[in-house]
Amino acid sequence: MIRFNKVNKWFGRDHHVLKNITLEVKQGEVVVVCGPSGSGKSTLIRTINQLEPVNDGVIIVDGITITDPKTNINKVREEVGFVFQHFNLYPHLTVLENITLAPIQVRKMEKAAAEQLGVELLERVGLLNKKDVYPAQLSGGQQQRVAIARGLAMRPKVMLFDEPTSALDPEMIGEVLKVMQDLAESGMTMVVVTHEMGFAREVSDRVIFLDHGEILEDAKPEDFFTNPQHERAKQFLRQILAPMHQ
Amino acid sequence: MKKSLLVSLAIASLFSTAQAAELTGTLKKIKESGTVVLGHRDSSIPFSYLADGSKPVGFSVDIANAIIDEVKKELGLPAIKVQYNLVTSQTRIPLVQNGTVDVECGSTTNNIERQQQVAFTNGFFKIGTRLLTKKTSGIKDFADLAGKNLVTTAGTTSERQIKKLNEEKKLGMNIISAKDHGESFLMLESGRAVAFMMDDVLLAGEMAKAKNPADWAIVGTPQSSEIYGCMVRKDDPAFKAVADRALVNFFKSGRVNASYTKWFQQPIPPKGLNMNFTMSEGLKALIAKPTDKSAEQM
Amino acid sequence: MNYHWDWGIFFKSTGIGQEIYLHWFITGLGWTVALSLSGWLIAMLLGTVLGVLRTLPQRSLSAIGTAYVNLFRNVPLLVQLFVWYFIVPDYLPEPIQTWFKQGLKPEISGFISVVACLGLFTAARVCEQVRTGIQALPRGQINAALALGLNPWKTYRHVLLPQAFRIIIPPLTSEFLNIFKNSSVASLIGLMDLLAQTKQTAEFTANLFEAFTLATLIYFTLNMSLMLMMRWLEKRVKVPGLISLGGK
Ligand SMILES: Nc1ncnc2c1ncn2[C@@H]1O[C@H](COP(=O)(O)OP(=O)(O)O)[C@@H](O)[C@H]1O
Ligand SMILES: [Mg+2]
Repeated sequence: MIRFNKVNKWFGRDHHVLKNITLEVKQGEVVVVCGPSGSGKSTLIRTINQLEPVNDGVIIVDGITITDPKTNINKVREEVGFVFQHFNLYPHLTVLENITLAPIQVRKMEKAAAEQLGVELLERVGLLNKKDVYPAQLSGGQQQRVAIARGLAMRPKVMLFDEPTSALDPEMIGEVLKVMQDLAESGMTMVVVTHEMGFAREVSDRVIFLDHGEILEDAKPEDFFTNPQHERAKQFLRQILAPMHQ
Repeated sequence: MKKSLLVSLAIASLFSTAQAAELTGTLKKIKESGTVVLGHRDSSIPFSYLADGSKPVGFSVDIANAIIDEVKKELGLPAIKVQYNLVTSQTRIPLVQNGTVDVECGSTTNNIERQQQVAFTNGFFKIGTRLLTKKTSGIKDFADLAGKNLVTTAGTTSERQIKKLNEEKKLGMNIISAKDHGESFLMLESGRAVAFMMDDVLLAGEMAKAKNPADWAIVGTPQSSEIYGCMVRKDDPAFKAVADRALVNFFKSGRVNASYTKWFQQPIPPKGLNMNFTMSEGLKALIAKPTDKSAEQM
Repeated sequence: MNYHWDWGIFFKSTGIGQEIYLHWFITGLGWTVALSLSGWLIAMLLGTVLGVLRTLPQRSLSAIGTAYVNLFRNVPLLVQLFVWYFIVPDYLPEPIQTWFKQGLKPEISGFISVVACLGLFTAARVCEQVRTGIQALPRGQINAALALGLNPWKTYRHVLLPQAFRIIIPPLTSEFLNIFKNSSVASLIGLMDLLAQTKQTAEFTANLFEAFTLATLIYFTLNMSLMLMMRWLEKRVKVPGLISLGGK
């Protein structure tokens, strides 16, 4: 479904943020990307829908070479949902309008059909009763669930998540992870940047550990957690799991 | 001896109080302050304008000086100072009324509406409203303007007259009211209007300024005449009498002719323009028989 | 001060047909409103396009917007009007030139020039407000729109501009009020707007305090109504969580 082949990206002249990334995500697979802050996780995931262009290498999504300048990138973006750390809901639109905007404008769906779809998705994320309020009237966790519904409204083939829970108060993290887990179980192909190791362990099929723009580990969660190969990964796991052992 | 001194003192004091009582209004103010404030314009050529930036000059300034000289004589104060105060069309009436300006000599038409607010001295100029047009335009009189564009300056009597004429005679003219005379002439020059209606003397001024004065002509039967006068405060007959007398003397002594020739028939500062404007019969009549009435009242 | 007050002047005949001075104020107000609203329409349309141009990543496009703003904001309004009325028509091809100068009624050709002048001048100011409004939005808004497959036009149309306009209503209100004030340049080329009619009434009646008092009242009422209208609009389109930028 997603294939990276020797992808490199620099910011400016000499800030090499992605180094020779080669990676494959199969249909229906759930891949967690983790790594220290600044290691290039966001950049990596944003290249999948070209929110960040790359300098060289090839990225193929659903059979389309998106690094080819001739590709109409909007077509690819329609197939790839993206959930941001800070939700990025449209504050001037109601919850339902947030969800129906792209289906109506991009997919040319009838308004009624789009609303029907929106209602179904809101039901799925448990927020049907909020359909007519504005984003600012929701809690962070609720906003993120709407953002997921908004992404799903395009009926994407892949969903990307960039730290979807790290801007949330702890008590709201669970409700968002629950929605993501349901989604994973429904067979969606997902790439998730997260530090929620519980989610990685229980939901994901693979964990990728990124450090200084390099993939150091690419393993099944049980292997990654019990038997990390790299010293950096061990150190990272020690730090991130430490509070749990206190 | 003692008695006669007392009597003469008494008489003297009586006399002086009598004289003090006589002096009221503007004359009193001028005597006390030793200053007379003259309201003038900055670009009413050749009546009252600034040629070198500081003191105003022009035909109306000569009139004003005649009035000031008469005031000096009246008060027996040869050293009265003159303070110049620039006025505009909008400020001239209130500044006279509120005492900022003692006498305004510019190019102010004496009319009934203004007489409600201020008093006018004897008139010193008489104009007729006529047309300025290109010699080649074929316009000879107002009747030729039917259906054409005419420009006049906003807020002038010409504007009111032409609108009235247009309405009454159904001429179907398009009347443009430009902001000032320079602007009106620009409208004419740029072909927006075929004729410019205004006071004949002002038309002569615009014509003199034109690149090629010979291309232009002043035509048409004067639609009305207006008399320019100096403005003084209302209900101050003593001061107005002095000013009126000054004008009568200025006319009688023939000084008016020298001044007229200087400003209307010779090159004038700052650029040496020559208005080439012969004295009209109307002005000659006004000089022969001075009056403080407006043209409508005659 | 011995001023002769006469509030009856507004009902006195101007001496032209059946007209009274009050009619002058009414037609003057009519011109002022017509000029300002037409100019505002142009300013909003063009200003929005330019404001958007200035926020585009393409250098050449944003340079167009920048050049426009620098030109139109720094040349005095009076000079611009002079150009539109006296200079530009002289460069029109011949049959159009004569038609514009003499075929059209002077009020119409004057109106066109003033509206163009006001519209283009104010567009530069609206452009800056729109640009500020767009740039004040979080970067995530564009990303979210792009990620959903919206093209740049639809991103501006549905996501950025509706938010930008909401937050710039207060500064836009002051531009809106300004265009009404600026419309008085019309009198320069002989269009009798409210201010010109006021001066004219003052000149003809010699009752300038009454004339200017009435004009002040009319301008004040006009300004207040416009302001209330904009407040109402602001309230109407208000959504939670979007804070407007303070007016200047
Ligand atoms: N737009 C940008 N311009 C320049 N440098 C950037 C930009 N975005 C990210 N970086 C840099 O690239 C590196 C990787 O950033 P990022 O992908 O956000 O890391 P992560 O998500 O793992 O924290 C960091 O050093 C960051 O400072
Ligand atoms: Mg990140």
